[in-house]
Amino acid sequence: MTVETTTLLSAVAQGDTIAFEQLYDRYSPTLYALLLRILGNPEDAQEVLQESFVKVWTNATSYDTARGSEAAFLISIARSRGIDRLRSRKIRSDRENDAGREISTVSSFVVNKTGADDAIQSQEQKAVRGALAELPEAQRVALQLAYFEGLSQSEIAARLGEPLGTIKTRMQLGMKKLREHLKAFQ
Amino acid sequence: MMTHEEFDSIAALDAVGAATAEEARSLDAHAAGCADCRRARDEYAEAASLLARDLTPVAPPNDVRDHVIASLDEDAGGDVIDMESRRMNPWWLATAATLFLALWGWREVGIRVAREHVKNQQAEIKMLNDENATLQQQKEKLSLEMQALGSSGTKTIALSGQQAAPTASARVFLVPDHRRAIVFFSNLPENPKDKSYQLWIITSKPQSAGVFDASHGSATITIENLPVETEIKALAVTLEPRGGVEQPTNTNFFVMGKT
Repeated sequence: MTVETTTLLSAVAQGDTIAFEQLYDRYSPTLYALLLRILGNPEDAQEVLQESFVKVWTNATSYDTARGSEAAFLISIARSRGIDRLRSRKIRSDRENDAGREISTVSSFVVNKTGADDAIQSQEQKAVRGALAELPEAQRVALQLAYFEGLSQSEIAARLGEPLGTIKTRMQLGMKKLREHLKAFQ
Repeated sequence: MMTHEEFDSIAALDAVGAATAEEARSLDAHAAGCADCRRARDEYAEAASLLARDLTPVAPPNDVRDHVIASLDEDAGGDVIDMESRRMNPWWLATAATLFLALWGWREVGIRVAREHVKNQQAEIKMLNDENATLQQQKEKLSLEMQALGSSGTKTIALSGQQAAPTASARVFLVPDHRRAIVFFSNLPENPKDKSYQLWIITSKPQSAGVFDASHGSATITIENLPVETEIKALAVTLEPRGGVEQPTNTNFFVMGKT
C-alpha cells in the first residue's frame, strides 16, 4: 500500500506503522544529511536521527497542515534535537578537527530512493538551490552559522568579525528573501 | 510596545534559532493573539527548512531503520498498530482483542495521566530555563555596560544633532580594548512605524552598527566587534526602512560625530 505524502503524518498519528516506515524512507536521507552537517560525525547523527523519528512518532498528532509542510515539521524536530546534542556534548571543537573526515564519510553513503521521490526531490532541490543562490554570500553564511551551528547573533558577529547590528540585519534580510521565494514557488 | 514589523523581524531570526530567549518569548506571547504574526512565524519556519533541503540527501545505514522501528515498540509499550498484520487477522481475533483492550484500558489511562504529568513538568522546566537564560543575558548586558562605563580606557565621543534633528544628541562610550561601545541617544524625534533609526560606523565605507527605535526621544544601543579604533572616522544615524538596510539610503543625518 502506498500512502500519499500529504497524508503520511496523519496516518502515523493514527498509529499506522506502514505509513511511518514510508515516512522514514522518504525523509531519513534529508534528515540524516542535516544531522551530519550539524553534528559532523555519523555516530551522533545516527543516534539523533533515531531519537528524532521516535519524537515524530509520539508527536505526529501535533502536526497541523495549515502551519507548514510535512518536510518542515520533520526537519524542525531533527534540527532542534541535533542542536541540543551539539550543545550538550560540546563537540564543536571536535567537529572542526574532524572536518576533513566528515567530507569523506558523507560521500561514502548512497541515497536509496524511488523514482517518484527522485522527481519530487529534483523539483524541490531546484527550487531550494534557486532560493539560496539568490541570497548574497554574507547573508547566506550568517544564516547557515545560526541554523547549522546553533550560534547566537553575538557569536556569529564574533566569528565573522562584524558588528552585531550588521549581522542581525543580514539575517533578517536573508530570511525575508527566502520567505518571498517560497511564496513565489508555492 | 513592539510593532508587528518588529515581531516579523524577530520571527525571521527565530526561524533559524537566532532570536534571544527574551525575543522568542515575547514573540510567542504576541503570536498567541495575532493571526498575522503566527502566519509570518510559520512561513519563516518553512523558509528556514530550505537550508536543510538544500543539502544533498544521504541515506543512513540500514540498521538505523531497524533500530527506529524497534524503538517504537519500546516507546509505546507495544502500542503500535501494524496495519498490514491487522488486515490479515481472522475475525475471531477481534473478540479477543476487545477483551484485551478493556483490561488494557485501565493501564492506558494510568500511562496517559503519567505522560501528562511529565509533559507539564517538562513545560515548566523549559519555562524556567528560558527565564534563567533571559536573566543571564540581562546580567551579562548590564555587566558589560558597567564595565564599559567604568573602565579607565573608556573614551567618550559626543554626537551632535544635525539639520534633521538639531536638538538631538548622543554620547558614545568606547572601550577600544574590548572593541565595544555603548551609545546613549537623547531628544531624537520618534521614528515612524515603518522606519527604524540605523547607526552607522564610518570607516572606509559605512557599516551598520544596528537599528533602534526612539522611545520618548531616547534610546540605548550596545555595539560589539567594533572595527579597531583607528579605522573609525565617524558615527552617524540615518532614518531607514523598518529593519535596516545594508548601506545608508540617504545622507540626512540625525546625529553625527567624528572620532
